Amino acid sequence: MTTLNETKNAPRKLHDGMIKSRKTRIGDLVIAGICFLLMLLCLLPMLHVLASSLSSPEALVRNEVFIVPKGWNTEAYKTVLTTEKYVRSLGWTVVLTVICTLLSITLTICCAYPLTYSNLRGGKFINFIILFTMYFSAGTIPHYLLLNSLGMLNTPYALIFPNCISVFNVIIMRSFFYGVPDSLREAAEIDGAGPIRVLVKVYLPLSLPVIATLSLFYAVGRWNGFSDALMYLKKSETEKYWPIQLLLYNVIKNSTQTTEQAAQEGFFANGVSKTIQMATVMFATVPILLVYPWLQRYFVTGVTIGAVKG
Amino acid sequence: MSWGTYMKRYGTLYLLLIIPIAFFILFRYVPMTYILQAFKKNNILIPPWQVEWAKNNGFQWFIKAFKDKDFIIALKNTLFLNLLDLVIGMPMPIIMALLLNELAFPKYKRVTQTVLYLPHFLSWVIISSITLRLFATNDGLINKMLGTSIPFVGDPEHWRGTYIFLGIWKECGWNTIIYLAALTGISPELYEAAEVDGASRWRKIWHITLPGIRSTIIVLLIMNLGHILGSEFDRPYTLSNPLVTEASKTISIYVYEKGINGQQYSLTTAVGLFQSVICVIFLLMSNTLAKKFGERGIW
Amino acid sequence: MKKILALVLVLALIATLGITSAFAEGDDGFVDGKFTETRKIKVEIYNRNNDGGTDPTNNVWTEYIKKGMLEKYNVEVEYVSVGRWTETDDIANLLASHEAPDVSYTYGYNTIISYANMIDADGNPGVIDLAPYLEKYKDYTQNIVNLLGGEENLYYDKDPLTGAVWMIEGVRADTSRITTFIRKDWLDTLGLKEPTTLAEFHDALVAFRDNADKLLGADAAKMIPYTTSTDIGWRNDLMSVSFVKNDIDDETLFVYGYDDRHLLYPGYKEGIRELNKWYNEGLVWKDFGLYNDSTQEDDNMKAGYVGAFMHNWDYPFRNGEDCINLNLQRNVGENAMFVPIDCFPDDSGVTKKFMGAAVGSDRKIFFPSTNKEPLASLLYVDYISSPEVIKYLQTGLEGTSYTMTEDGAYQILPATGEWVKNSGNNIDYTMTCNGLYLGDATDKTTALSYPGIPAEIVIKANEFGKNNGRYPKHFNVGTIESETEVGTSLQEKRDELLTKAVTASVEEFDSVYDKLMNEYMDLGGAEIIAERALKLLEVYAIQFALGE
Repeated sequence: MTTLNETKNAPRKLHDGMIKSRKTRIGDLVIAGICFLLMLLCLLPMLHVLASSLSSPEALVRNEVFIVPKGWNTEAYKTVLTTEKYVRSLGWTVVLTVICTLLSITLTICCAYPLTYSNLRGGKFINFIILFTMYFSAGTIPHYLLLNSLGMLNTPYALIFPNCISVFNVIIMRSFFYGVPDSLREAAEIDGAGPIRVLVKVYLPLSLPVIATLSLFYAVGRWNGFSDALMYLKKSETEKYWPIQLLLYNVIKNSTQTTEQAAQEGFFANGVSKTIQMATVMFATVPILLVYPWLQRYFVTGVTIGAVKG
Repeated sequence: MSWGTYMKRYGTLYLLLIIPIAFFILFRYVPMTYILQAFKKNNILIPPWQVEWAKNNGFQWFIKAFKDKDFIIALKNTLFLNLLDLVIGMPMPIIMALLLNELAFPKYKRVTQTVLYLPHFLSWVIISSITLRLFATNDGLINKMLGTSIPFVGDPEHWRGTYIFLGIWKECGWNTIIYLAALTGISPELYEAAEVDGASRWRKIWHITLPGIRSTIIVLLIMNLGHILGSEFDRPYTLSNPLVTEASKTISIYVYEKGINGQQYSLTTAVGLFQSVICVIFLLMSNTLAKKFGERGIW
Repeated sequence: MKKILALVLVLALIATLGITSAFAEGDDGFVDGKFTETRKIKVEIYNRNNDGGTDPTNNVWTEYIKKGMLEKYNVEVEYVSVGRWTETDDIANLLASHEAPDVSYTYGYNTIISYANMIDADGNPGVIDLAPYLEKYKDYTQNIVNLLGGEENLYYDKDPLTGAVWMIEGVRADTSRITTFIRKDWLDTLGLKEPTTLAEFHDALVAFRDNADKLLGADAAKMIPYTTSTDIGWRNDLMSVSFVKNDIDDETLFVYGYDDRHLLYPGYKEGIRELNKWYNEGLVWKDFGLYNDSTQEDDNMKAGYVGAFMHNWDYPFRNGEDCINLNLQRNVGENAMFVPIDCFPDDSGVTKKFMGAAVGSDRKIFFPSTNKEPLASLLYVDYISSPEVIKYLQTGLEGTSYTMTEDGAYQILPATGEWVKNSGNNIDYTMTCNGLYLGDATDKTTALSYPGIPAEIVIKANEFGKNNGRYPKHFNVGTIESETEVGTSLQEKRDELLTKAVTASVEEFDSVYDKLMNEYMDLGGAEIIAERALKLLEVYAIQFALGE
């Protein structure tokens, strides 16, 4: 509760719900109105996609669909859910995301926790070599050549290992750990617990919000990622390892071919109808949209800590 | 403390660190040795250190890159798009954060934020597939609704605008998080004092809010300047089409097409090295500049 | 003593026999045209992901080939699939990771050359030099030689300086290329005859535009008199090259011949100017520039909105029941069909067509250096070039996939189930042959290849695709360095140039065209022209004057 001089002529308080000045109230409504418009801006495109996916193909071609489906038609979803290509890719993407998230979060904890010990010998050095990688990157081709030498090209490992730890997330986690009162740690140490015990008994239970947040970050990054699969999985047999986004990209944008031979053979675009395209879009997005609102509280705090302290 | 006791007590910490450090060494530092490819002949059948040196004392590819019109276009586009993102895109989340901060209805604020974060969770593939439907010159929804034929994605100049707009649309809401967090750090007493002095909403924003988040803004500005030559891949790659290539080909696409697809490995490694070095230089410069102004830099 | 000597002599004799017989066996184990031990090779096959297609690595066709190779040469063949539409990128990746198949094929000449120029740890190039094998195993390359039309074609890509042969060319058996098509029913409705000149064609388009109500009724707003794609070089070729002089010489065609869409030929710009005029008159599909793929265009054609277009000579007939002409009949009416016309004569009144060379413009076959069985691979290439094998792959089994007609033509039956061919005439398998190769029956069979379409239309379309054909002369100058460095950027710039020039306003045409042409030149076009002229001088001692 705030305290305020209680002079009669003082303007009304803003914060504890008492009567506001008219000017402020109008201002409030205007701001609320602007926010409403912004929300529409964010929502309408998705609603359009949803409506398109549930409309008839003819209505789509004639551009009659805005945010309400026209010519209610669930054929697109039936096709998508029964086509092996899509279902398999979705399933694989889920598996891949889970594996990557678990791996990433574990390694992030393993990396962040020891760095919270200020008396860690070599800690400064380790900090430096980790931070340096945020500012200087070897580049796309050296990474490609490395994976080539390791024999990881055209294997699913190229999607899992090369980016499993994000320095930014390590910083967030470390900052969070800093926030845990030393007293708790000391208490556990007095009881004879080693560092790992302390981690498990003290820090982890308290870190669930930040773990949830970072898991969300890693999961979203992996779910939405497609450029690594694009670059590293070019063998025909590896199509089964394509994340859903890459599959979607290929479905929606057919490649252009400008050689004479291609034109002569006739480039048969796999004409995928627009409704199916929209259904695939929903397919690839809905999982995330269902999850993130629940974790909103956590990731807001997570980013806050990371940004302000990092 | 002697090493013996130290390791006994804290040894397990190093155990925890083994895999993460191995990761960084293998996937972040070892690739740096492949940077050598930039100075060698275009041969990837043997490791770079065994390959012959390129012509011109190893600088053949750097010279070639700057003679390559494709690269110059890519360089120009990357710079231009990043600058536009910075100048137009950076103030947006600040304004939006201020807006949200002024929002007087807490529950409504929560809902608004949830909705505003939504675009951040969409991939660029998704956004690009919606884009053509909405923005096509003659058949797109927006043009149909307005009855116009504006080539939003049909010619380079308009495309740039659409590109920046979509970037803002996607990340603005998300980027407010940092600013909102910084805003909570401003002491409420400052507002109350201002209230007493009869300050209007605008004066309060100008004199209290903005200075209060100044350091956050500066830090983010430094980081963005440091990436002025960096280029993301997903956004330009998915949003581009044959009509706008002179505006949409960025360095990241250049490296992908010429390097991974076009087998010009040495050339694109040289380009990547050039990019990284410039980024570091810019980062150092902006950091020093910020410090001169009395702000806390990144390090 | 004598005994020992005799023993030694006998042993020596046996030893010598043993050693010489090893030499007599030739390439460790190749005796009398067959391997003594089974050899294994991997062969590339394109994957087109067609709906209703078969697995390209395992179907009736692969079974036939595998059986044949095993019986004839004792070679086991395994197929590796590579996406057709991303093949150059994919092959580059496979070569990098040493996973490219033993027998690989690609349209990308530069891909092979880049790899040939890389040297590995043992000092070997990334691609096997075929010259020694072609020489040593001459007897086993007869089929390829016959197919390509002569031994010199086998050595088509022999480097004039080093003598290295990095690849074997495939042949374009049917060189028929592009034909113009127009709606017969619309011409009839409007009382027009089939155009034979540019002016008549233009008039027909104008008539279509102005009579949209009559022709399309309620859908009048959807009228598209003439459609094209962003690949204007292909889709407007016949009209554009009609502005190129008839007496253009071989050297000019060579020096300006890097671009396979003839962009650089003198006079080409005027053809594009004409199209630009048409665009501004509302005769060309407004939105063609926005689409990367052909779905929208095909839909427009099938729905009946399109009046005329230029495309591959058999484009309206492809895909069996789902072909454009049959769809058109279903959607619009019995009489609706696209018929072929030949209406772009040049300055000499000849409707000349610039053709792709029969040899040298199709797939190129090469063996990456990871190939441990070069002989077995070469035998495969020869096997796949033999007339019987090609005939089987193109026609299949009598009674099941084809029947013979009275005049000896092969009537190909609509393919179902396992007999489906993923590519037209199975060209993906017949890697050295693109087009029907059935001896005397070829032309007659071509006419029958499109069920549901009248034979005269097919023959006429095929005829118009190659009549008055001008074939480029092959100047074998070896690698042209500047071409290996541009990748696909010049093709993309060309498409951009043509698309923007056509969609510009009439006043701006010249400035747009010239500006983009300068960019094309700066991107590497000028270098290529200069180098080609130089090579002509070096290798053939021909002085070519540059500058138009």
